[in-house]
Amino acid sequence: MNEKLSLKIIEPDKIKIEGEFDHVIIPGIDGDFGVEVAHTPFITKIRPGILQLYTNKKIDKYAIHDGFVTVENDQITILTETIEKENEINLSRAKDSKNRAEKRLSSSAEDINFRRAEASLKRALVRIDLGR
Amino acid sequence: MASIKEIKIRIESVKNTRQITNAMKMVSAAKLRKAKNSIFAARPYANELNKMLELIKIKNKTIKHPLLAESDEKGKNALVIVTSDRGLCGSFNANLIREAKHYLQENRSADLICLGKKGYDYFQKRKNKITHQYIDYFNKMDFSISREIAEELLNIFLNREYTKIDILYNEFKSAIQQNIVVKQLLPIIPTKIEEDKSLDYLYEPDEKTIIDEIGKKYINVSIWRIMLESSAAEQGARMTAMDSATENASDLIQELTLNYNRARQAAITTEIIEIASGAEAIKQ
Repeated sequence: MNEKLSLKIIEPDKIKIEGEFDHVIIPGIDGDFGVEVAHTPFITKIRPGILQLYTNKKIDKYAIHDGFVTVENDQITILTETIEKENEINLSRAKDSKNRAEKRLSSSAEDINFRRAEASLKRALVRIDLGR
Repeated sequence: MASIKEIKIRIESVKNTRQITNAMKMVSAAKLRKAKNSIFAARPYANELNKMLELIKIKNKTIKHPLLAESDEKGKNALVIVTSDRGLCGSFNANLIREAKHYLQENRSADLICLGKKGYDYFQKRKNKITHQYIDYFNKMDFSISREIAEELLNIFLNREYTKIDILYNEFKSAIQQNIVVKQLLPIIPTKIEEDKSLDYLYEPDEKTIIDEIGKKYINVSIWRIMLESSAAEQGARMTAMDSATENASDLIQELTLNYNRARQAAITTEIIEIASGAEAIKQ
């Protein structure tokens, strides 16, 4: 049996990451969960959060905002539209968008883009969290 | 016969035109290469998504989901027609429009949604009903743009404005060949996959939510792929059209040069005859 998990992260326009890892923590819709070798076949939605990939004591962290994950036979496939590595995050931009989103959310105007503002706030918070 | 000067001016202007068509050909070739790469890059994501959707559908034959349901009810159709925003690409748009007119004859109640300026201009002039239009989306194309369109189409469908949405576009075959494709966009028909998976998945939170999400993503990526295909096909068509335009210009220049030389020769001959007959007159 394979000792490692093979992981593939696919974006609409490219394969972002392809490699082997010991242990992976994924922000699922119902909470973060860890995947080790020999996990049950599994499909879930991803919520905005931090994705952690472990290899030999090294941790790679990514901010991930949406998508799906399937786990089968030690093969993890993540389909996502937005994912950024720690060093790809622009902290000041994230802070700006956080402020903007908060302003929009607190304005009492009947805003049809309420959900969009909320989503953008969540994204900003994840980025700030990871970027610090 | 045109005067020597006129022919000369004509040659210059054709040369200028040739330079432009040649440049456009080069630009299209470069853009085509880029578009082709994008198509390849989009493949893994789309395939993976399709696989997931199909898996879920196989596992749950009983599932009724608005995005997947084959509705029997007869309702209004919509046709999305994907043309280019710019011209000078041969019969690229003309063929599409012809096909769209066919479709409209068969589905008289269908409404149009135009993606691309050329289709919009055409049907607007002919007073067809266009419910939505997306113009100038191709020159700033990236995934978030196509997502915008996809989300709007999905909303239209989920609001039950239409029971079926078809999409008509040019599929990229090769630089010199485009195929016109009509495909059902919504409800979703996942492409059949070969492998038979016996794995039983755990779904979290539940199947409906998963299908909701995957369906949405599937439409996003379908639109993205169609836009990529169409823009690659457009560049291919433009490249071919501009190539033959350049060739035509060269032929024309050759012909004009011949005429020019002939006219010049004729002028010289006349002059010589005049001088000769003048000299003859003096001798006598």
